[in-house]
Amino acid sequence: MKQTETAGPTGPASTAAPPQARPWLPWWAGVTAALMLYALYQAWIAAPTEATMGIYQRIFYVHVPAALVGFGVFFINLMASVWYLARRSRAADALAVASAEVGVALLAINLITGPIWAKPIWGIWWTWDARLTLTLVIWIMYVSYLVLRQFTPHSELQPRLAAAYAMFIFVAVPVDYMAIRWWRTQHPQPVLFGGPHSGLAPAMLYALCVGFAAYIALAATLLRLRYRQEQLRHKIELRRRARALAE
Amino acid sequence: MHMTPPAAPPSTPTAPAPASAAALAPAGHPSALAVFWATWRRDLRIEWRERQALNAMLFYALLVIVIFSFAFEAQAALTVRVGGGLLWVAFLFAGLLALDRAFARETAGDCLTGLAISPASRAAALAGKFSAAFVLMLAIEGVILPLFAVLFNAPPGARWGGILLTAVLGTWALAATGTYFSALGAHARQRTLLLPLLLLPVAIPAVIAMVQATQVYLHGQGGAGFWLQLLAAYDAIFTALGVLLADVVLEVE
Repeated sequence: MKQTETAGPTGPASTAAPPQARPWLPWWAGVTAALMLYALYQAWIAAPTEATMGIYQRIFYVHVPAALVGFGVFFINLMASVWYLARRSRAADALAVASAEVGVALLAINLITGPIWAKPIWGIWWTWDARLTLTLVIWIMYVSYLVLRQFTPHSELQPRLAAAYAMFIFVAVPVDYMAIRWWRTQHPQPVLFGGPHSGLAPAMLYALCVGFAAYIALAATLLRLRYRQEQLRHKIELRRRARALAE
Repeated sequence: MHMTPPAAPPSTPTAPAPASAAALAPAGHPSALAVFWATWRRDLRIEWRERQALNAMLFYALLVIVIFSFAFEAQAALTVRVGGGLLWVAFLFAGLLALDRAFARETAGDCLTGLAISPASRAAALAGKFSAAFVLMLAIEGVILPLFAVLFNAPPGARWGGILLTAVLGTWALAATGTYFSALGAHARQRTLLLPLLLLPVAIPAVIAMVQATQVYLHGQGGAGFWLQLLAAYDAIFTALGVLLADVVLEVE
């Protein structure tokens, strides 16, 4: 926000990025915080206690939105990578970095909440079924995407190599989404879009929807912030290079 | 898959479309198949003459097998339980050496730039490099497998045909993704360190399938159809991706 104010007036005329008229961050962050608090209230207090799993089921309202919004953010990463390769747009690359980082954070929430639920329900923290294994593998793959970016810093190569790698690793995401539908897994069967015997009580569905709204708001705020920051970083990088050339 | 459309239009200034490439070299423009064979033969010929990767791989895989046989007490009972994993760890690490060498050679003489600016099909060149690495890795595995059987007292009921089939499919998987990532990391500063970091995560699903199938065949009971199908699907998807995205990775700035 502070950056957006300084970028406009002091920047040279060549970078004709119009300064943003109104600061967006307080609004977005405020709405996100309110939604997160409401989602916690829904998950902890408002939603009815599940019949067989008891109180442990409440982690579901965090666990599922974090995973699905995370997958959605990885899809944004794929689209941004395709866009980069087609148009060589730096904005697309900034979106790709932002989405990979936000996706890794969201999937980390999912991977941490899963075992906390599994210990009382299954009696074990972790098991290597198709869903759990693939989710961990996807998380590792996107971390290695970020490592690839670190290995090729400040180079023109970086966005292209990262975009190529992004296409290879996204393959696992739809497979993971379908894993509990295709194979018999220890992980519970899908509650949403899972066939005739799936579904939720209305109050639970409402709490889940609030959870989704909160995580979508969180992802959008983080994405926008990181996207903006990455673009500014690149701008600074270009100026630094131009100055080094001039000297 | 969502990946197929983007690969089609890499119409960047440096990536010549087939039509313009043909216009550049109308007379002796090599067909994709010729490029494939030339790259394949060249890579294998260089390797046969200097035997750098070959010797290193062989010795490395041998060391891994020997160290494993000390680290775990190598008996038939253990081999039935974890033999597949031990075998594939040896193959995987030996394979990494071959894959790293494949593009280390190209960057040394700046051959990569030559390859990238030539009118030859890049997908064909990459496929040639892939098949050279594939043959090399299979050759090493052909030597290591009997040694493994002896040192680890492989059970008499093991089905070696199935293990060989698994090795072919699994090596294809490692070579296909590995060649692509080796090309991808060729320009990075710490190329040798980068390759395993890129390859291992993507290889995990293939490694799981290889190990499980090998385990089934070592045990001599049960079917490994699911794991072989998984490997075949993995091979098909990642080979297609590599061919489609070959232009992206072999482009020069």
